[in-house]
Amino acid sequence: MTETASHTDDSPSDQSTAPGAPGSRSTLDRVNGSSILLYVVLIAMGVFYLTPIETGLVTSIKTNTAVIQTGPFTPPGPGGFTLAKWQAAIDALLRGMGNSLLYAVPATVLSAFIGSLAAYGLTIPDWKTHYKAPLLALFIAGIFIPYQAVLVPLTQFWSNMAPLNQWLSFLWAMGINNDYAGIIELVVTHVAYGLPICTLLFRTYYKNMSEEMVESARLDGASLRRVYQRIVFPLSTPMFAVVLIYQFTQIWNDLLFTLVLVSTESSAAAPVVLILAGLGTSLEGQDFALRMAGAFFAALPTLAVYILFGDEFAEGVTA
Amino acid sequence: MADLELDDVTKVFQDDSDEIVAVDSLSLDIDDGEFVVVVGPSGCGKSTTLRMIAGLESVSAGEIRLGGHVLNDVKSQDRDIAMVFQSYALYPHMSVRGNMSFGLEESTDLPGDEIAKRVEETADLLDIPELLDRRPGELSGGQQQRVALGRAIVRDPEVFLMDEPLSNLDAKLRAQMRTELQRLQDDLDTTTIYVTHDQTEAMTMGDRIAILDGGELQQLATPLECYHEPNNQFVAGFLGEPSMNFFDVERDGDTLVAETFEYELTDAVTSDLGDATDLVLGIRPEDIRLVAEATESHDYETVVDVVEPMGDENTVYLQFADVDTGGHSLVATTSGLRQVGSGDQIVARIPEETIHVFDRDTGVALHNRSLESEDLVEFSPE
Repeated sequence: MTETASHTDDSPSDQSTAPGAPGSRSTLDRVNGSSILLYVVLIAMGVFYLTPIETGLVTSIKTNTAVIQTGPFTPPGPGGFTLAKWQAAIDALLRGMGNSLLYAVPATVLSAFIGSLAAYGLTIPDWKTHYKAPLLALFIAGIFIPYQAVLVPLTQFWSNMAPLNQWLSFLWAMGINNDYAGIIELVVTHVAYGLPICTLLFRTYYKNMSEEMVESARLDGASLRRVYQRIVFPLSTPMFAVVLIYQFTQIWNDLLFTLVLVSTESSAAAPVVLILAGLGTSLEGQDFALRMAGAFFAALPTLAVYILFGDEFAEGVTA
Repeated sequence: MADLELDDVTKVFQDDSDEIVAVDSLSLDIDDGEFVVVVGPSGCGKSTTLRMIAGLESVSAGEIRLGGHVLNDVKSQDRDIAMVFQSYALYPHMSVRGNMSFGLEESTDLPGDEIAKRVEETADLLDIPELLDRRPGELSGGQQQRVALGRAIVRDPEVFLMDEPLSNLDAKLRAQMRTELQRLQDDLDTTTIYVTHDQTEAMTMGDRIAILDGGELQQLATPLECYHEPNNQFVAGFLGEPSMNFFDVERDGDTLVAETFEYELTDAVTSDLGDATDLVLGIRPEDIRLVAEATESHDYETVVDVVEPMGDENTVYLQFADVDTGGHSLVATTSGLRQVGSGDQIVARIPEETIHVFDRDTGVALHNRSLESEDLVEFSPE
């Protein structure tokens, strides 16, 4: 950039011949000034966001002595480097990862799909407003119910009204650990609590969909179900990306429901968050390197989801 | 093959406590294969009428029948009606081929190869076979318009509904599509209802035009009947560009007295007027003759205020010479080759056989211009 500016300074003859030249120098300066500021801010933000991640990453590959002897964000020396902590973290968390995927994937997909269907029903068909409005109000009220408020009713529900442990006894007889009832409870609970926000997100999206296009499909002979299947659903891809990323991150990271419904990290069905919570803590103190390695490992699936749906996500957010 | 009948069709929208009557007891009989243009200003209920025929709006009262069957409670998808929307409403995630086959796939049990054949025939008819594998987003407005038409034509429905299909096109393309649509409709011979606010489209395209205002039918007739023999002042003023000149007049015996001039009538006109005295005199701009000297009783001294040259003709705004009214009082059109300049003194001749007289309170036409003159015979429809 500076090169361009000096070039303009050195050749006044060019300036006089080029049309609009007198104004171009000050424009160039202004662009330089604002872009320098922009880059400074961008770099500062980059440093701000990346420092904790860098600190965590270098800590996770240090030996216990290196953690004490080196600064938090300095890389370990040749003697202080080890992958043992990652090995230990993966060993401890791998079974939890499996369990987490077992409920996070179905719960995410189900809540997105049902939310999309519910939003379609509340938006596209010309059903009367006084039927749709109260339903929508219920959905929106659902968004504002705090998790803490439902913890007791939730345990009551799963132990008294829907005792899965008894209903599914044939599964346990087949040799499956009965702790896995907790996984099914987590799926249903997360679908129920994710549904309101999913519905609202899809509804906003469908509200902006061309009404004439849907009407055109109806006149083309498509039933409500076919309109959803062939027109609305395929056009919802960007919003599905948003909802899938959002729901997956929420469900994967949630600790409260797992504590209530599965409760112990020793359980065969313990999700990754439950094991991670106790990883590297003992009476002797905290194993920082192990905790960092565990945190990074447990975060990998959410990272993968972002990368997988990133493009559609951007499209959905800006839609 | 069937007639479409609208029988006292009414649409009332509820707005909080208010009731808004969008369409008021509208009756139309549309013959099989006929092209009817529904025209009117914004908010006259023309689109609502179309949407009721399509089944996209419920009917508050009255009946819509297609071939004798009542359509009121038939769902949109079962009506065998195709509609072309103003926004084209193409499915953006499907190719042109997908857009055109969608209707046949959803509404018929035709096998895939038969559908493909029909889609290709229709694409040939519309001269768009090279677009079949593109997405709507890759097409120009005019091409999208053709695809929207193709999507309707390929289904071979009982009725085409078109809701201002040409209004998103530029002027040149619009004129071209206008003729092409007429040609297509002639070939296909499918009953068509075409909604527009554009009076050129109304005049040029329809076998008959239905003029709506405030949800009520003002006139249903051939374009030339509506133009030359309007039922009322609204129709007279709506059709024609520049629009008809109107003057509020009082009848005094055989004379119509306006603020700025007086107009003598003969028995041929007075016999139509009854005993109404508050009247409106109407004269179309092209019926005013501009002459050099006042020789007849219907000649008036005027001063040219503004001239708008259109090339083929001039629109001339005139003021009566005696009275300073402050505004334009008379609009006339003359040949584009005629030299008329602002400030010129000129005589406007208002021939009696071309005047219209309306009742000022009801707007009803009491007297319309005579159509007996020989030069009109070749223009009359059919």
